[in-house]
Amino acid sequence: MNVMKIKFLPKYLLIACLSLFVISCSDDDDVVVDNTVTPPSDYTFERNGATSVSYSGQTARLKMANELSSAMNNASSTKSGLTNMFDNGTGFSDATLDATGKKIGNKTFASAVASSTVKPKFDAWITDFVDNVAPKFAVTATNGSAGFLQDAGSTKKRYVNANGHELNQLFTKGLIGGMAADQIVNGYLSPAKLNGAKAGNDAGTMYAEGKNYTSMEHYWDEGFGYLYGLDDQKKPTLGATGDVLLNKYAKKIEDSNSPGIAKKIYDAFILGRAAIVAKNYTVRDAQAVIIQQEISKIIGYKAVDYLEDFVNKATAGVAGSGEWRAAAFHSLSEGYGFILSLQVTNDGTGKPYFTNAEVNTMLAKMSNFWTVNNADLTAMANDIKTKMSL
Amino acid sequence: MYKNFFLLLLTSFLLVQCSSSDDDSNTMDQTASYDRSKMLIHWVDNIINPAYSAFNTDLSNLDSSTKAFVANPNQSNLDDLRTKWLVSYKSWQHVEMFDIGKAEEIYYRLKMNVYPIDKTWLENNISNGSYDLDKPENYAAQGFSALDYMLYGLGADDTEILNKFKSGVKYSNYLTALVNKMASLTSTVIADWTNNRETFIGSTDNTASSSTNKLINDFIFYYEKGFRANKIGIPAGVFSGGSLPSKVESFYKKDISKDLALEAMEANIKFFNGTSFDGSSSGPSLKSYLIHLNSTKNNTSLSSTIETKLQSAKNSINSLSNNFVTQIQTDNNKMLTTYDQIQTVVVLLKVDMLQAFDISTDYVDADGD
Repeated sequence: MNVMKIKFLPKYLLIACLSLFVISCSDDDDVVVDNTVTPPSDYTFERNGATSVSYSGQTARLKMANELSSAMNNASSTKSGLTNMFDNGTGFSDATLDATGKKIGNKTFASAVASSTVKPKFDAWITDFVDNVAPKFAVTATNGSAGFLQDAGSTKKRYVNANGHELNQLFTKGLIGGMAADQIVNGYLSPAKLNGAKAGNDAGTMYAEGKNYTSMEHYWDEGFGYLYGLDDQKKPTLGATGDVLLNKYAKKIEDSNSPGIAKKIYDAFILGRAAIVAKNYTVRDAQAVIIQQEISKIIGYKAVDYLEDFVNKATAGVAGSGEWRAAAFHSLSEGYGFILSLQVTNDGTGKPYFTNAEVNTMLAKMSNFWTVNNADLTAMANDIKTKMSL
Repeated sequence: MYKNFFLLLLTSFLLVQCSSSDDDSNTMDQTASYDRSKMLIHWVDNIINPAYSAFNTDLSNLDSSTKAFVANPNQSNLDDLRTKWLVSYKSWQHVEMFDIGKAEEIYYRLKMNVYPIDKTWLENNISNGSYDLDKPENYAAQGFSALDYMLYGLGADDTEILNKFKSGVKYSNYLTALVNKMASLTSTVIADWTNNRETFIGSTDNTASSSTNKLINDFIFYYEKGFRANKIGIPAGVFSGGSLPSKVESFYKKDISKDLALEAMEANIKFFNGTSFDGSSSGPSLKSYLIHLNSTKNNTSLSSTIETKLQSAKNSINSLSNNFVTQIQTDNNKMLTTYDQIQTVVVLLKVDMLQAFDISTDYVDADGD
């Protein structure tokens, strides 16, 4: 009997060992099987019969940006008025915005990877507009002197500073990258932000008492909100009324350079959000990369378009006669803001397509629109196309 | 027998399968195999305790000079007191990051180095002659920055400052109270490190409440808040509409803000590298832990990336004016580019390094929703 026992023991041990390993291996497999992601047909997500999607803060900021953009082109704006709107989130004609407590200023080039040197440019534009441009609304602009430029084909006037910069365009297009895109691609959809909320999402812990979403779900929604905050959540049309930022330009790119981009981005938002619900972070991150790259392309395309548009207008304008500068400076002002925005693009690995230093080099060549070199602009446009594979 | 062999073969096959896939997919095993205990002991015995001990010596010199000055408030005693204040203020930069245990419990950091001071409140304390320095409303009326005001900000020149101390005892009393408070708080903290050393170094688990995880978190929190934001970001206006030069560290003795920031940077670098306080040796550290894990970012060693970026940040601070108020008023962009350099390391420490260690942050930053 004793001999028998000893003989059998190792065999049982082996079997025990074996099953242990089989179990530990199959555990790993279960993880993969359990979180298959089935995306819904639109951005509808619910928990306990109620929506779990919330991005009211983003909606508020997009509305604020709209008002601020107009105010940056209104001769009666004051420095304190503009600064209050920008930094303190107050003084809007829509009084409900004042009560939200949301601000644009602290979300301007504010992600962990954005340079802190950029926000002060916006502050300086406010000062330049109020001190130098607003008092000259009735004076014709010349090189070195602020004023208006009359558009040749219409009654439209463009108000520019001493360097020909239309400040509300620099400001608004700067916010497309500096707030909307940066917050999405480098903020809320970054692995750093989302992974920080992993434990809570795995445990199903709600964002806060009385909320119907986990932190990770909410972060993703907040990213969604910077693009769709004024659009139809379930059937976005883009070009949404009142959204002067990213949404408007996503529409333009959908209709010109990259048809299909709208669906690509929206689908990635849906699938990524569904992946968070299913706790499948691999699928989530893959969708974040799609969104990061596609949104970056919107900025790249528009930077190129406006640089080329200026060169075309300038070439035609100089050869022909009449006032070409109003429209051309307007285009280049938009281009300036989009180029500024390039430094907060994201190639999907956390890196921008152009660094802060590279962007500053480009902007330096655009410091005075009256004397800007067309060949420089064309070279920049080509460089952007090459680097971003546009 | 054949059966046994078959089982053995199968088992080893499965063993290989399981372990190879584990190695590829995560670093849990390696995370655990690093000797956190040795690291913790090195931190406590060769960095934290010596730093506190040096600070304590500097504080007792400050205390002696304060007594001499109060007894005889003349120019030479004022000069001596100022020198001792600066020496201990620099020394403080090596302990501020260890906001853990007793220090955290008694709000040591908030009582030692909140700036800017609340000048009106502080002057009220002086004229009333009664105050409780343990109360939160007095955090901004004590510590190093209160001494900065007492020694440099009380008058337009030294004669005016000395006259404050010569006319009556109110200013002298407050000065004495401030220095006494700093000394007694420090003794309390040091005693705790001595009494609870064993418990502290025994807590090496990878849990939110372990000494190791808390200290690593405290270091990063300090780097982000006490160092990056307080010394550079807030005065440079990173978190506000415009710059706020009155919020620099040492606002009254203006030309030492850079020295203090550099000293703090040195402390950060030494802690990351595991350099002993006296600089004579090095031991297990965040750096060697990362090397042990072979952590990389963009195909480059994470530890050497952090080391390089810390050094560039330090160089950037070094390129600033000694006087941060002047720097902000003449060329704030340089403050901001310095902030950017410091911020680069925040991301590396808080995201990449913590991920490598499989440690969660125990603090969150305000989101703004």
